[in-house]
Amino acid sequence: MTRFAWLLTRTQTVVVAAALAGLAVAAAITGVQLAHLYTSLVAHCTTGCDLSTAEFTSRDSFFAHLLDVVAQVAPALLGLFWGAPLVAREYETGTYRLAWTQSVSRCRWLLTRLAFGGLVTVAVASVLTLTVTWWYRAFDHVDANQYGVFDRRSVVPIGYALFAFALGALAGAVVRRTVPAMALTLAVFILVRVGLSLWVRPHLFSPRHEFVPLTSAGQFGFESRNGAAAAITAKAGGPMNAWTLSDHMVTANGHVATFADRVAFVQQHCPILSVPPKVIGRGVAQAPPGLDAASRSCSALASRTFHIVVAYQPASRYWAFQSIETVIYAVLALLAAGACYWWVVRRGD
Amino acid sequence: MTAAVEAIGVGKRYGRRWALSDCTLSLPAGRVIGLVGPNGAGKTTLLHLAVGLLSPTVGEVRVLGHRPGDGPEALAAVGFLAQDSPAYARLTVGQHLQMGEWLNPRWDGDWAADRVRQLGLDLRQRAGTLSGGQRAQLALTLAVAKRPELLLLDEPVASLDPLARREFLQTLMEIVATQDVTIVLSSHLIADLERVCDYMVVLVSGRVAVAGVVDELLASHHRITGARRDPTSLPSGQVAIEASHVERQSTMLVRSDGPIIDPHWVVSAVTLDDVVLAYMRHARDGVAEAPTLAVAQ
Repeated sequence: MTRFAWLLTRTQTVVVAAALAGLAVAAAITGVQLAHLYTSLVAHCTTGCDLSTAEFTSRDSFFAHLLDVVAQVAPALLGLFWGAPLVAREYETGTYRLAWTQSVSRCRWLLTRLAFGGLVTVAVASVLTLTVTWWYRAFDHVDANQYGVFDRRSVVPIGYALFAFALGALAGAVVRRTVPAMALTLAVFILVRVGLSLWVRPHLFSPRHEFVPLTSAGQFGFESRNGAAAAITAKAGGPMNAWTLSDHMVTANGHVATFADRVAFVQQHCPILSVPPKVIGRGVAQAPPGLDAASRSCSALASRTFHIVVAYQPASRYWAFQSIETVIYAVLALLAAGACYWWVVRRGD
Repeated sequence: MTAAVEAIGVGKRYGRRWALSDCTLSLPAGRVIGLVGPNGAGKTTLLHLAVGLLSPTVGEVRVLGHRPGDGPEALAAVGFLAQDSPAYARLTVGQHLQMGEWLNPRWDGDWAADRVRQLGLDLRQRAGTLSGGQRAQLALTLAVAKRPELLLLDEPVASLDPLARREFLQTLMEIVATQDVTIVLSSHLIADLERVCDYMVVLVSGRVAVAGVVDELLASHHRITGARRDPTSLPSGQVAIEASHVERQSTMLVRSDGPIIDPHWVVSAVTLDDVVLAYMRHARDGVAEAPTLAVAQ
């Protein structure tokens, strides 16, 4: 049965393997150039490093975009084009009546095809994510935003691909027609991916909190929207390479400062800032006299009254997140494969 | 002797529609059995149940003493040629034979290779480019080279042109002559079955209307013509399956245990076609009773 599974998937496997090999070779060539560039522009930089780092990261390469898009869509494509037709095409073309009346039980037929397809999917996804992660390593190091590219690096894409494949097989078994099964696979895959990223991943570990004084916040000032009374505002992020989940301005006794609190503070302590500046001419605001001084003293007072609490996941948890999410998707893939088995073998018609 | 196929009170429901209901039949081993019935009679459903592609909603099906499709042994014992002879369009003829060899322990590769050579099929040709007749022959080759004890063929010639149909039935008769295999062949055309089958089952609306050895069916059925008479007034041992009446004359198709010696009747022989159609109509409408004469004047 394994040989027959290979016979049925030989062409598509060879085509994908060839495309992948081409991509890997291109990545190897450009990746070496990139490494030289990184060494000369960033690693051995002595003066004007910001500028040379910026020069390195702003390199607009076609290949970088290509690789990014491929890394993003490859798992879904594997589910659509390998998973969905696995059972659906047999039903659609009527060959299930040929396949399941040979001397191999339907159970063994399905398990062999799922296992074979799953292995090839994992192999393809592994080579792809290895290539992408390796190629991007210098950029990722400079960007220091590992959680921002979380779903296109390291091991999670393997989990995504395996899940998409099993989901496709299940959809095909249920719908029994290839194209609707592909549509269903895509819809469910996107829902699961978005749902898990938004609502599950942030809660896998309880976040750490950091108190940031307003004076070291990234943005700190007075903000007026649409001519309303001005509020004090500040934003801050977590440490280097961490995943910032939220930042709140809190009062000295630990309560979250609401928008009303922040407006009230300005009105009470620095009323001159509360009134939004009048706009004259072409959007140029005329500052009332004494504004700068008021702003300075108000800021000083504010930074004694408020500070920012940042909730974040530290950089050190990256691999824990990667492993857990991969395991989650592997388990989902097993569940989908089990449901597919039930639908095809147990339910029976 | 175990029956090749045995169904006891079998029903199969799709959603709210019963494709087959209360079907009880026994198909004897060692024969070439024609399964005939109008479209939608449940022939395909019955064969799919027998080969294990479907499982019954109610009742029990046993094939060669096994539950259908229950394990490799049961699967190996039954060859199946599905309607429209499905084949993998992108695999070649040779690859189909390869599949047969890989997936069937009793595969007769020499026979299959011989067969394909006789048919003049190119091993490198993709199945998707074969003609309907060639594909049917390929599918038959696959089903037979499996060396099954029971061969089920679902409407194998329905979609073939007359020439391909003749060639297919020719092949089938060669197989019947040379191999020890029970064959069940379904069709809605009696003419296709008449030449190869020695046992006939008529299925109407999922129920068996009549079943028996063809020669016995022909010997025990007669067409009788005579003066007008009510079909219910026939002597015991004679049952009217079909009756039609004109003003002074009745024509009936009767089943009779012995010869009909009543001089009242002119007795003529029946064809298989007559018998099968009579039972189909009988199952659908019941016997046409002699209408009472209208005496209006």
